[in-house]
Amino acid sequence: MRIFWILLKKELHSFFVSPVAYVVLALVMVLNGFAFRAALSVLENAPSEGSIVSWTFHAMWFWLSYFFIFPLLTMRLFAEEKKLGTLETLFTAPVRAWQVVGSKYLAAVIVYCVLWLPSLFNFKFAHWISAGQVELPSGAMGGAYLILVVMGMFNLAVGCFASSLTANQIVAAIISFTLSLMHFLLGIFIMVVGRKISDTIVDIVNYFAATEHIRIFTAGLIDSRPIIYYLSMSLLFLSFTHHVVEFRRWRP
Amino acid sequence: MIDVQELTKQYAGRTAVNNISFQVEPGEIVGFLGPNGAGKSTTMRILSGYMPATSGRATVGGFDVFHQSIQVRQSVGYMPENAPLYMDMRVKEYLKFRAELKGLSGLTMRRRIGEVMELTGVTDMRKRLIGNLSKGYRQRVALADALVHKPKLLILDEPTNGLDPVQIRHVRDLLRNLKAKHTVLLSTHILHEVEQTCDRVIMIHQGRIRANDTPANLTRQLRSTTLLHLEIEGTGNLAEKLSSLNAVRKATEEDLLVHPWRRFTLRVEPDHDVRDQVMELAMKEKWRIREMHLQLPTLEDVFVELSMNAGTPTDIPTHVL
Repeated sequence: MRIFWILLKKELHSFFVSPVAYVVLALVMVLNGFAFRAALSVLENAPSEGSIVSWTFHAMWFWLSYFFIFPLLTMRLFAEEKKLGTLETLFTAPVRAWQVVGSKYLAAVIVYCVLWLPSLFNFKFAHWISAGQVELPSGAMGGAYLILVVMGMFNLAVGCFASSLTANQIVAAIISFTLSLMHFLLGIFIMVVGRKISDTIVDIVNYFAATEHIRIFTAGLIDSRPIIYYLSMSLLFLSFTHHVVEFRRWRP
Repeated sequence: MIDVQELTKQYAGRTAVNNISFQVEPGEIVGFLGPNGAGKSTTMRILSGYMPATSGRATVGGFDVFHQSIQVRQSVGYMPENAPLYMDMRVKEYLKFRAELKGLSGLTMRRRIGEVMELTGVTDMRKRLIGNLSKGYRQRVALADALVHKPKLLILDEPTNGLDPVQIRHVRDLLRNLKAKHTVLLSTHILHEVEQTCDRVIMIHQGRIRANDTPANLTRQLRSTTLLHLEIEGTGNLAEKLSSLNAVRKATEEDLLVHPWRRFTLRVEPDHDVRDQVMELAMKEKWRIREMHLQLPTLEDVFVELSMNAGTPTDIPTHVL
């Protein structure tokens, strides 16, 4: 466990020493600002059932930032070390593969959570400046940030896996982006096809529909199924990553 | 300290290390010598626990490199080729990170980091970003990292690669001083380095061990094979006539001179002097000789020989093949 913390500290250090974290943070803040403004203008025009939280996370801007974050945060995790050759130095120190994979992943998750902190400030600020007229239902807030974190955990695990496959960060980013996008498109498959197909398929697809999850959670409904789905998928991709990293130790 | 038995490593369709066996005793400095792609790095990577062998067995300090990899890695200080380091860390920061990973902490760690920085001469650079350091300094930082946990065995892959002559001498002195406390296995393609620092040389070529002896012994055995350089004016197949002489193994013509002068190199069997015979032959054949020069081969010649002829090197002492 001690080794794990040392590695985690080092990973966080390289996130915050390199410009990556700040560039992504700036990008997310800008896009969040747009999403927030879009939500405000919805509420401005007509009374609405949805809260400002739910409108913010329904904005197109939010989904735009959503896809950029994961490749940017995860592409360098393994690819950079492979390119520099430091993976060799790392694995000739007494460290185990799961410690390396786990620490890199957790560091990415922590940075990801930090990215959403400014948006929290947006909501608080709107609440404060409107003297409480802009309501912040605690269910919607809690649900929204909970689903954001678990969805992030899944996509970051996918990104980790993509990064472990290659020594080229660009390739890693593209793989990670494509996998995340495919997962997302599978979820909005229903929107495209419509409800003409059988209910069973609709139900199944809704299990991994990110848009659907956001809709439910930002309404303040906390459903355990998506949480379990995302967490178990994260574990699955992390174990893939572990296998790829350990590949060189496989005996023919 | 190291015991390697019939180790083989195959990459997809290519054999990098082919059934090698050798031992290294505690306190020895052993040089791994061979051209690029000979299998030096692969062997070292296997010994440091980075990757497994395809077949065979290797132990370091009694621990199996595959099954007890963590214990092996604790007792080995490994410096990979080209010294890969994190470019965004500062020297001291990096050494601290590595020392912590290797189980050091607190005052012992800080003292030890100071020691290795002093030893490798990077103390003045401790606050510099590794990315801004020159190749020579990076190499030293990597060496400091390999030393930091006082490993019983040091495995250094081309430790002097990319250093200037002064730095090379510095590293060589350092290695000699380390001998008391550490066993060292280093790889290089610089022969001089091996002659200067190592107790024993393992020559490796195309994945096989070609020689395994002390530098002094190797050189002595090699010195017994001599080369004779000749510059002759004559016509016809001189090489054939020269090689028919007693004790001449082979005569080769070198395409260097302007007609009618021709240059030949004779490989002569140990403890034979064929100069008189050559003179007699020349008189009989009415050749003119303007140069005859006896050359005692160095370790370098064998090395070149090894690298050029993949087949059976004839000049290597047969008992070590």
